[in-house]
Amino acid sequence: MENILEIVNLNKSYNGIPALSNINLSVKAGEIHGIVGANGSGKTTLMNILFGNPIIRETGGYQGQISFRGNKVNFKNCAEAIRQGIGMVHQEFALIPDMTVGENIKLGRENTHSLTDRLFGRKYSFIDRKQDYENAGQTLRRLGISVDVGIKIINLSVNIRQFIEIAREIDRTDLKLLILDEPTAVLNKNDGLKLIEILKDMSDHKIGIIFISHRLEEVQYVCDKVSVLRDGKLVSQYAKGNIYVNNLAQDMIGHTINKAAAEKREMENKPVITFKDFSVKMPGEEVKNLNLSVYKGEILGLTSLSGHGKLALGYGMMDMYPVDGEVYFEDKKLVKMNARTNIIKGMYVLPDDRQGLGILADQSLESNIIFTGNQIKNMFIRDSAFNFLGFIDHRKTNLHVYKMMLDLDIKCTSIKQKVKELSGGNQQKVCIARALTVDPKLLFVAEPTRGIDISAKEKILNMLIEINRSRNTTIIIASSELDELKRVCDRIAVMVEGKIFKILSPDSSDVDFGLVLSGEEGVDCEKL
Amino acid sequence: MKNYRLKPPQIIISAFLILLIGLSYILHMDLVVLMNESMVKLVMNGVLVLSLIPMLNVGAGMNFGLPVGIIGGLVGMCLAVNFRMTGFYGFFMAILFTLMICTLLGWIYGLILNRVKGREEIAGIFIGFSFIPLMNYFWTLAPFQNREMLYPIGGQGLRPKISLENYFNHILDNYGLISIGNIEIPVGLIVIFAIICLFLYLYFRTKIGRATIAVGENEAFAKLSGINISQTRLIAIIISTIIAGFGICIYAQSYGFIQLYDEPLSMAFPAVSAILIGGSTGKKTFIFEAILGTYLLQSMYLLSVPIANEILVPELTEILRTFITYGIILYALLVRERRGIYS
Amino acid sequence: MRIKEEASRLLDSEYMVPAIFIILSYFAWQFSGLTGSFVFNQVVTRFIRDGILVLSLIIPVVAGMGLNFAITVGAMAIQTALLIVIAYQVEGIKGILLAIIIGVLLSLVLGYVIGRILNRVKGKEMITTIIIGFLFNSIYQLIFLVGFGTFIPVANKEIILTRGIGVRNTVDLGMYRNTIDKLGLFKIGELEIPLFMIIIVLLFAAIIFYILHTRFGQEVKAVGSNMQTSEILGINTDMIRIKVMILSTILAAFGQLAYLQNIGMFDVYTAHMNADIISCAALLAGGASIKKARIRHALMGIFLFHTLFIVSPQAGQNLFNNAALGEYFRSFVAYGTIALALIINIKNENKFS
Repeated sequence: MENILEIVNLNKSYNGIPALSNINLSVKAGEIHGIVGANGSGKTTLMNILFGNPIIRETGGYQGQISFRGNKVNFKNCAEAIRQGIGMVHQEFALIPDMTVGENIKLGRENTHSLTDRLFGRKYSFIDRKQDYENAGQTLRRLGISVDVGIKIINLSVNIRQFIEIAREIDRTDLKLLILDEPTAVLNKNDGLKLIEILKDMSDHKIGIIFISHRLEEVQYVCDKVSVLRDGKLVSQYAKGNIYVNNLAQDMIGHTINKAAAEKREMENKPVITFKDFSVKMPGEEVKNLNLSVYKGEILGLTSLSGHGKLALGYGMMDMYPVDGEVYFEDKKLVKMNARTNIIKGMYVLPDDRQGLGILADQSLESNIIFTGNQIKNMFIRDSAFNFLGFIDHRKTNLHVYKMMLDLDIKCTSIKQKVKELSGGNQQKVCIARALTVDPKLLFVAEPTRGIDISAKEKILNMLIEINRSRNTTIIIASSELDELKRVCDRIAVMVEGKIFKILSPDSSDVDFGLVLSGEEGVDCEKL
Repeated sequence: MKNYRLKPPQIIISAFLILLIGLSYILHMDLVVLMNESMVKLVMNGVLVLSLIPMLNVGAGMNFGLPVGIIGGLVGMCLAVNFRMTGFYGFFMAILFTLMICTLLGWIYGLILNRVKGREEIAGIFIGFSFIPLMNYFWTLAPFQNREMLYPIGGQGLRPKISLENYFNHILDNYGLISIGNIEIPVGLIVIFAIICLFLYLYFRTKIGRATIAVGENEAFAKLSGINISQTRLIAIIISTIIAGFGICIYAQSYGFIQLYDEPLSMAFPAVSAILIGGSTGKKTFIFEAILGTYLLQSMYLLSVPIANEILVPELTEILRTFITYGIILYALLVRERRGIYS
Repeated sequence: MRIKEEASRLLDSEYMVPAIFIILSYFAWQFSGLTGSFVFNQVVTRFIRDGILVLSLIIPVVAGMGLNFAITVGAMAIQTALLIVIAYQVEGIKGILLAIIIGVLLSLVLGYVIGRILNRVKGKEMITTIIIGFLFNSIYQLIFLVGFGTFIPVANKEIILTRGIGVRNTVDLGMYRNTIDKLGLFKIGELEIPLFMIIIVLLFAAIIFYILHTRFGQEVKAVGSNMQTSEILGINTDMIRIKVMILSTILAAFGQLAYLQNIGMFDVYTAHMNADIISCAALLAGGASIKKARIRHALMGIFLFHTLFIVSPQAGQNLFNNAALGEYFRSFVAYGTIALALIINIKNENKFS
């Protein structure tokens, strides 16, 4: 069989940070090629390159060669990739919600009347809607889906939408390579099987398929070949017959040196916060009916693949997104989520998106560190007749900010320096300093080391341990850096689809973590 | 202020201004008189421009709904004139009425703008535009008693241009006017202007003022830090509205007339363009930028009038005025960086 | 809570605004004492005058760019073309054709420029189109009030002000006046129906219907619904938006031509001034929103809006003995309709995002 896609020595970096290095990969016509990898392994970047997403070009293009059906290609935009016969089924539904099923399936390839074709050309020719709907209906029937082609997408459930998107690609007569990004994520078992049958059928029609999924069982079942990506590198490839779930899981996570930075200790199981059927409607990162107790004085790790809800917990507590369910903090039920009252009660959130949520970039170090303490707890206010206006007492703030600067080793020219001029690590320290200023009892931390260079990472992690040990602050760290969690946490909770799936001890094996992250049932692992 | 950099609009306007000064020198115009007048013009229009700052800093964008505040000020003055309050007393009472009315109007305006977060500018334009004809009913039907304000004969309601001759015409312009040779310094006017600047300066140093700036710079940050976004925005919008009301009072006492009906319709655009010329980008703005922009723009207008008359096309001033006004606003829309949360 | 939901559902309903207009118009008409046939004839006149201008707003709304207040630019383009034709004394049918050609070419260029500008201010299109309209207005004034007679030589001295610089405030379109209005005019009792012009307006409606039902039209709809998704579906969204603005500007130029030939007199500096506000308000009165507009909204909106517009001054006169109050009511209705539509739409947008 011919290789329809050949990738040779592909390299891509964003602002000097490598996202893909030396990828060599080929797909044959009719082959179902699985790609698995954890977050940040480079799957999305690879797909963006193959489908000509303009973001690649905007960030400096890529190095290496991609040949499609024997020709060297370098797509400028998605339209070019589509013209060449590449199709893509997107994870976050690339359907036009205000259009009908039929319109979506035929978009860009509508049937037109031949008279107006000759008069104005196909692009400005009158559409034959009836013919379109008929075609769309046939394609849907081929997939075994019964849905009215005249219904608007917005009125359909997510699993039907997934099939409609597949129908759109199958309806193309020129399709040569189909990329599917987590197509089964929103499907139940039955629909998942149905989809796999469809893929097998397409493969029989000599269409090359790239299948990205985190459901390792499915990958094992359906793929002719599997490539495992980790940290932007192709770590292993398996052909049919040699694909085993355990191997994939092991390769995804990789061997890591597990040097425990925090020694194990016995905890008193007294919960500081308890979630009961707690849901947070954070788009793309939903928490659904979560049940969890966090013990006083512990460091709890929270991990999941992206989109499975690990980040939403803290934001839900700060009323950033609508929440549902019950929360008990220090044995008292929280009636209504309100950031101000929750901060006063002793909760605090260190956000993952530092630029967007963590800092006031245009303001000084000083203003950033005192902001929350000043606004919420009325700290640093100058004593005068105008107390109610809340002018700042600069002597008090200077004292505090200098102490923080020294304690946390924040590198800056002065406390008046703008925070946007600091490095990522120092910005994170500013965020931590602000948290320490309000002295929380329970600290939610999200992706504490994201975008921070290696030496600073260690400092930040040690700082979190230090805060936990010296102030007895309970910390919940949500992170996709499993390695880091293993080194600082007392327990690690793994979330799948918005729920706690398993709680593991930090010294559990990599295979266990890999399998649990993928939501594989029946894995033997010790439960705390 | 140490990071202050000249931006293209300022360079263009300054160059144009220098050109005009050169021209007026060639045409033998009295530059000292123009200088004196430019001081008055600065304060006359400057307060209206300053009124934009709280809304810019809270992230509600350029306040094209300026007519709302202006109308509050007009009502305040009309009340003072109706009760025949004259001199300083009259002006003070006009300010007091304005304060009350603008607080109410600003509160309602703020509630509406909080519902259209992110698109305040377009909504503001039409809120202002539609508020004007509504108020025309008020001017026509409200039971004002003072004959000097009403249509002399044949008309109903207030006249479009009410003279302040017998009330508080030039009350601030003439207070503490110091003359050194030909140069006149209107101390009273400048003091009032300075007080308003100082008020704004202090406002942004209070606790609520710091929250205001944080909301404007990064709303999501402020929310995560437990700031009540709606309330902070509401306060900023009310303050903007009140200062706009004061602005029109100061404008009217300099101008000598209260102008009613459709007059406030086009007052927002020159004010907005002034602050943009000063260096604002439609986000956080310094008081200094408002003053600089107003001075540059007003001096330019002042100079261009006699020059256009000299070259026999008097309409040229007005056309250039609108051209510069809208050109600057369009430029600002084009170069403005997207605000983090909405991008 | 239920009541609040019900109320907001009612407010969002497409028929809410038209219903209010019908009720208001009916009462205003009762108080105005105008005869039904007079109102009808006036509304029909407005329909053929403003119809195409209102229709020119539809495609930008479908493309998700909101109300295009820059249709005044298209209006100014055709006015420029007319002034050029008159200035160089090209008469009769030849003159009209030449004016159309120049006007369309000018609109094409200006539409392209506007499209390029709007691609840089995604999400802020409406405010930008307002400012663009104002800005072009001052450029237009600069050309005809200052440029004509100084930098630009003019053959036809009749249209120049006595001082030798600038075009007069009004220019007579005598040679083109009502030439086509009277075509196919027939009367039923007191009702006058200019059939030919009505057909022209409906023809433009059909053109827009056709455009929206081509592959291009589907792409416009897709871009209007979701720009990011359209981009990954292989649609060149920026180009689509530019084409939409070109189309809208050209249609506006034709609209203004219909308007001017019906009036017969040409207020050089004011004829285009409120074209945007009136047209937008009319479109919204028909039940459109800043997210959704159909041809029936435009056609129905013109009738509803102009009925109220015609009867309200007389109603004001009769009710309060003051015609000015009716005038204020007019402006309030025009601006208020747009303000209300904006507030409701943006509020909903924020709720769902």
